[in-house]
Amino acid sequence: MSIFTEDIVNFRSVLQLAYNFLAGRDYLKKKKFQERKKLISVALPFSDLVFASGAVPVFPIRMEQFKVHSYLTALNSATNLIGWNLTTKLLSFVRKFDVLKILDTVLDDVIHTINDKYNELYDLGIDHGISSDFCYGITGLTGMFVSKGKNLDANINFTIRCSAWNKYSETLKQFVPRQIWVDIPPRNIDNALELLTDNVSQAISDLEEITGNIVSDNSLNKQFRIGNQIKRFYKTILYEFSASDFYPCNPATFSEILALLGLSYQDYNSDNQRYLESFSYLVKEMRERINKGIGMDVSDMPRILLTPVFGGWEPESHEILYELGARTIYADWEILNLLEEISVSKNSNPVEEYAKFLLNATTRGIGYDQEALTDSYIETAKALNVDGLVFNQVFGCHSISNCYSLLRRKIRNKLEIPTTVINFNKIGDNVEQVKTRLGAFMEMF
Amino acid sequence: MDNIELLESYNSYLQEQKANGKKIIAYLTHDNVPIELFEAAGFVPLPLIFAGKDELMDASHSYLPPSTCSYAQSCIGYFSSTPRTHEFLDLADYILLSNHCVSNICVSEILSNNFNRKRLDFYVSYTRNSNALKYYKLELKHLQKEIEGITKERIPDHRIKEEIIRHNNFKTIVEQVSKLNIPGSEKLDIYQKAILYGPAIQAEIEEIISSYKSNTKNTNSTHPKNVIFTGCSIFINDYLMDLIEDAGGNIVLFDTWIGRNYYSQTFSEEVIASLNDPIDLLTKRFENNVYGDHCVPDSLDNKIVFLENYVNEYHKKYGDKIGVINHIIKFCDHFSLFQSYFKEKLQERGVQVLNLERDYSRSIKGQLSTRIEAFMEMI
Ligand code: SF4
Ligand code: SF4
Repeated sequence: MSIFTEDIVNFRSVLQLAYNFLAGRDYLKKKKFQERKKLISVALPFSDLVFASGAVPVFPIRMEQFKVHSYLTALNSATNLIGWNLTTKLLSFVRKFDVLKILDTVLDDVIHTINDKYNELYDLGIDHGISSDFCYGITGLTGMFVSKGKNLDANINFTIRCSAWNKYSETLKQFVPRQIWVDIPPRNIDNALELLTDNVSQAISDLEEITGNIVSDNSLNKQFRIGNQIKRFYKTILYEFSASDFYPCNPATFSEILALLGLSYQDYNSDNQRYLESFSYLVKEMRERINKGIGMDVSDMPRILLTPVFGGWEPESHEILYELGARTIYADWEILNLLEEISVSKNSNPVEEYAKFLLNATTRGIGYDQEALTDSYIETAKALNVDGLVFNQVFGCHSISNCYSLLRRKIRNKLEIPTTVINFNKIGDNVEQVKTRLGAFMEMF
Repeated sequence: MDNIELLESYNSYLQEQKANGKKIIAYLTHDNVPIELFEAAGFVPLPLIFAGKDELMDASHSYLPPSTCSYAQSCIGYFSSTPRTHEFLDLADYILLSNHCVSNICVSEILSNNFNRKRLDFYVSYTRNSNALKYYKLELKHLQKEIEGITKERIPDHRIKEEIIRHNNFKTIVEQVSKLNIPGSEKLDIYQKAILYGPAIQAEIEEIISSYKSNTKNTNSTHPKNVIFTGCSIFINDYLMDLIEDAGGNIVLFDTWIGRNYYSQTFSEEVIASLNDPIDLLTKRFENNVYGDHCVPDSLDNKIVFLENYVNEYHKKYGDKIGVINHIIKFCDHFSLFQSYFKEKLQERGVQVLNLERDYSRSIKGQLSTRIEAFMEMI
């Protein structure tokens, strides 16, 4: 009974995060039709302005209908009624599952559910006419707009170095007539920050016009404070827990949690406050679990940074690495400098602070050239103190995936850790090759 | 003059420039390059407008994955493969890195790092809003300073303006070529040469124009299948033009970077007179570049409207309904992503479109030929 209770009490935050991700459709319907909120799509973690305007940011896959694991549904309806406390009814329901594996099973199911949907939407993107030469991410996103774009009131686009991304963003007006653009100067020279600040102000005016709300310095700072706290929690998981010799769960499940965080971080599951609460619970729960010695000793398992995954990756990879004796870390947003805090100090101008955040992310994280991008990989790998790096080369990505030869050279010279490359085209397409590659890679340890 | 001759004479031209102490700047970027600034500083611009082939693409694979556009791959191949096909590329002192597309950035960086060419950076905003224009200006000034740092000499404003006027006049002459009643292949040869040499060959082009003006042969009647060519440019040494003409096609408009996008970017005399600062003039040109494929969010729609109008005008004038060949170099971020949307929109407006996607491999030639022939039969 004690393990039973621990398994439900602990990690309820992850399950809640998962539930909120999957049950987005109903939540968004309620926001749109009952609360008359405007739905604004975002991709990549750029949701701050939308939240500050009182609109609802949506990473578009969340408008889809997902199959939600019955455990999650039951847990959610029970908690809606009685909070997160356990009831006899809930316990008797939960008893039907293999409680020791409940988190592993449910999370695994969640990740597979999301990925199945991704593949379905990728196919829709191809049917819509996107050439299969483009990256999985852009094709999948196009499919999301084909499928549910009509439900959106607007779309917010940020220009980045990836030309396919910018061109893809241009195509979105065929699905969502109202487009908001934030043009980020390609590099930080002279008064580029001032120009970006003005572009951000323009985007804010567009949001005000769409929502009918005023975006004040207070509303921006309030959002940044929430965002900063989330970022701190996210970093705690990446830097503290992922580096720990003792994990609060099975390392493959830990990777799944990181994957779920990576996905949901783009729109905070459309509710910043709720997301912050879940994140804060998550950190608390992980810490408690580690302190109580519940989980797994992973001290002899090398830590592998697998990146980039935001444009699509083979989700079996962390299972494969786990079976080969390693633990997998997903940290794209950190590499791309998208977990940097935004200053909310008293005399700061929040619009300018947001512009600083964007400029830093695009010039240092995403990088205005391959040198900057690969430096960011090296810095993060060093800071995370990982034992190896697996580079996920996404077919059709001309912006990030093609920096591998430069990155490999830098890793050899500066980090001296094993590295390998795996190729990704579509989920499930290449699992055997990934297994072989990772098998050979793990022999280096 | 065939391509071998052209390249040989270009080689001699660059050797000569080099012998005169000029610095050479090579660049891949297709648009928005302030060539006038280079020329005002005494640099020679070297546009990389050479088509690829299997060997060149293969030679790039230790630097970039094969899923990179075949033009970008080939540019690396030109520098890395032996024996060298275009030895004059060794004369380049600098590489201009610009962000026309991300492959432009990556390849310029690779060329600079691995082939020992100093790098000059010139980034362009992704929109053309008022702040983007201000940013363009910043980059121009930045570039100017960098060049001045190299030459240790200030580039006087009047020199830049003189170059702007010189290039402006030259483009106006090149534009006249588009109106000549000659086969598309001949126009293309002139455009390619014009971009390669710039105003240095103005007299030669004027001569060509006057000789053709006296030519009364009606190309339209010998090549009844008139088409517009859009999308990616045809580079020097590409066989594509031959395939089109062999299939009975004639290109009446090159709506590409090597073509209309080059010669149409001119200023009226009033604009030149009204803007004293040459940097303002160059910025104005960027502002007016509504069809350039670098910028979002309207360039594609602008292009579609332009093409529709052109087709309708042509129909009114000649009674012919011309089709459009949309040339897509495989893995091109700018033209590949849009292709079905582009075709659909133009077809809705009654314009027939062939999306012709290809790389530079020999093996694809037969397939291209069949597709072009089928399209020609259709129109
Ligand atoms: S950076 Fe790569 S993976 Fe991301 S959108 Fe661009 S092409 Fe796709
Ligand atoms: S052909 Fe397309 S992808 Fe290639 S360099 Fe030109 S614009 Fe970029």
